[in-house]
Amino acid sequence: MSLSAALRSGDVSLLPGKRDEDWKWTDLRGLLRVLPATAPALDLSGLTQGPFDALADQRQVVAGGHESVSIDVPADSKLAVALRVLSRDGGALSGKVAIRVGAGAKLRLLESYEGDASAYVTDTALSIVLGAGAAVERVVLAADGAEGVNVSQAQVTLAPGAEYGQTVITNGARRQRIETQVTHPGANAKLRLDGLYLLEEKRHADLTTVVLHQGVDGATDQFTRGVVRDQSRGIFQGRIVVEEGADRTDARMRHNALILSDKAEIDAKPELLIFADDVQCAHGNTIGALDEEALFYMRQRGLPETEARALLIEAFVGAVADRIGFEPVRDIARAWAAERLRG
Amino acid sequence: MAAVKQTIEHVEALEKYQHGFSTDIAQDFAPKGLNADIVRFISAKKNEPEWMLAWRLDAFERWLAMDEPEWAKVHFPRIDYQDSYYYAAPSEKKGPKSLDEVDPEILAVYEKLGISLKEQAVLAGVEGAPRYAVDAVFDSVSVVTTFKKELAQVGVIFCSMSEAIREHPELVKQYLGSVVPVSDNYYACLNAAVFSDGSFVYVPPGVRCPMELSTYFRINAENSGQFERTLIIADKGAYVSYLEGCTAPMRDENQLHAAVVELVLMDDAEIKYSTVQNWYPGDPVTGKGGIYNFVTKRADCRGDRSKVSWTQVETGSAITWKYPSCVLRGEGSVGEFYSIAITNGRQQADTGTKMIHLGANTRSRVISKGISAGKSSNTYRGLVSAHPKAKGARNFTQCDSLLIGKTCAAHTVPYIEARNGSCVFEHEATTTKLSEDQLFYAMQRGLSQEEAVQLLVNGFVKDVLQELPMEFAVEAQKLVAISLEGSVG
Repeated sequence: MSLSAALRSGDVSLLPGKRDEDWKWTDLRGLLRVLPATAPALDLSGLTQGPFDALADQRQVVAGGHESVSIDVPADSKLAVALRVLSRDGGALSGKVAIRVGAGAKLRLLESYEGDASAYVTDTALSIVLGAGAAVERVVLAADGAEGVNVSQAQVTLAPGAEYGQTVITNGARRQRIETQVTHPGANAKLRLDGLYLLEEKRHADLTTVVLHQGVDGATDQFTRGVVRDQSRGIFQGRIVVEEGADRTDARMRHNALILSDKAEIDAKPELLIFADDVQCAHGNTIGALDEEALFYMRQRGLPETEARALLIEAFVGAVADRIGFEPVRDIARAWAAERLRG
Repeated sequence: MAAVKQTIEHVEALEKYQHGFSTDIAQDFAPKGLNADIVRFISAKKNEPEWMLAWRLDAFERWLAMDEPEWAKVHFPRIDYQDSYYYAAPSEKKGPKSLDEVDPEILAVYEKLGISLKEQAVLAGVEGAPRYAVDAVFDSVSVVTTFKKELAQVGVIFCSMSEAIREHPELVKQYLGSVVPVSDNYYACLNAAVFSDGSFVYVPPGVRCPMELSTYFRINAENSGQFERTLIIADKGAYVSYLEGCTAPMRDENQLHAAVVELVLMDDAEIKYSTVQNWYPGDPVTGKGGIYNFVTKRADCRGDRSKVSWTQVETGSAITWKYPSCVLRGEGSVGEFYSIAITNGRQQADTGTKMIHLGANTRSRVISKGISAGKSSNTYRGLVSAHPKAKGARNFTQCDSLLIGKTCAAHTVPYIEARNGSCVFEHEATTTKLSEDQLFYAMQRGLSQEEAVQLLVNGFVKDVLQELPMEFAVEAQKLVAISLEGSVG
């Protein structure tokens, strides 16, 4: 059951739907009755700039005619890559990205999903393998169209001592899922998985993560926030698995969401599956409206209500962007979020 | 201090499952297996009216079309539903009119369990001593209901389900299956077809039930499933506290237990439902022979400002699969769930709650404490949801897991669905092992390792124990200690 299998075979019955536990809130089978034809090849020469092009050493595009990309970062080197996945003209796209990061190497992966206003269907499978002591910072900016369907699934494999940080920022799509599965060997490898969704109108976003702790001394820190308004729907599914013997694992997961409309919806499933005893695992989940007392306080100080609201939301959202390590990227992420919030 | 000392002595005296005796009483069995004739047999045995039989047969038909659910994090060999007895009544000479007619061996069983059935004995007790009304379900049939007269004076109906079907058919017809529909789930549907007995409580408007009501379930016969059905109705402004205790003897074959509990609450009503479950957990090494406990429990807060509180201490059963739920329909209704689930040996528990907020300003609170030891697995699975109309819904959930030993597992699987802009849901969960520092401190003060673990575990579950009625709390505390015996060192 996967979108890529359905796209490859053209068989809609292979689409994941409500009855698949991991997809119960992101029903593709009920949504897609027919699959669109494969997107036509894209001429790269007339391409406009992507959001991260200026910050990258290397630019890669996944689009019709350019379905697979592979990136190799040699050991002990440094690289910044801007990876763009372009969806357009109501076509289907099934992309594959393979990334290998050598021992001790550093990669900054700046990924953007850019979709037009058409009813496209895009599926991207990424594989990211980190060598010992390698470091990756991945920032995903998902700017899909309101009619698009986009599924991105990344398989991340860490080696001992590796460090992986990720921030996903999205404003959703008709149906959108950004999934990250991490195999964590423990052994002082460090993982940070952050997410931010800002949804309006009828948009839908699903941030799903699965972290598999397999060895001793692993650390995971997860932080996701979201704001939903109008009739939008935000979904957070986080699963942390600590396998037998993965002692001294320290895993933390937080999800906070704001619902700003009575027709919006948030669904959350923060799971902990623990098979070892010497662990520290925790998750926290809050869903609610803006704090009326904070609003009252600000208005009492002379701020107009709309401004007070905007300020509170900005502060709420800013906490995720602040954790991005590289400042220029942080600024782009903040500006992008601020623009979405103003709307 | 006395309680602590008593606890320690108790634990020392015990080497294995305390209630693992089986009593030889003449039993009246239905033939093995399950088909429409068995359903008819059960119904006939209980002299049920025609409408009840029709209800059962309808349930049986629907059950045949259903598939056994497999989503829970529990593993067990497939149950052969044809290899079990669905009705086992202790044979009796035309229904006991008084306690004297009850098989003395049954009474001896209860004495071993430490519950007093004899109302004279209780009445003769110290003035102001707590009093319970007990409905005892032995295998499948309710044996005796005490204190009936006194309850009747205030208008409270407390009797066995079969009696209620005969004597209060209008109430049963109105409410039975209205909270847990016949085809709600596989096991509830099976229960609807073959349920043998259970308790029925009706508390009329404005009445505060003068005593705690209690049911004691005990599975006795080999290879017999026990399917009780409990229905409690608290009318406007009524209050009732209901205790349920369960034990089963040691047996080799796994025994199926699929009960259904329905609570109905009208305006301003309150029900407090407490369970201590201590069924045989199976052999600690092989996991053989324990009870399969697949229970559907649900409260429907139909009235405004009604309140339901579930408290459970789950220490027994090979497999526990149970989610006491609250449907918060009435405006301002409140649902609470306090749970201690302890697994040791080869036990598996998948338990939690559902808080379904439908009405405005409904509130719920979930406190769940899971402890796993040995090779056991303990899962908290819960749902908190708010309907668009549930303006101002509020939930607080805390689930903590404690792991003792390297080979056990603890899982937390919460589902949170918020569908309006004014609900506030908070959820927090932690999983840790017993703190080495705290253990060291306690042992340094002269406690043995086992005592130190008990002390820390009691502290861990304190929030829930406090919610139990006083007498139950003492029993539960002992049970916690006994269940964890031999899990350290």
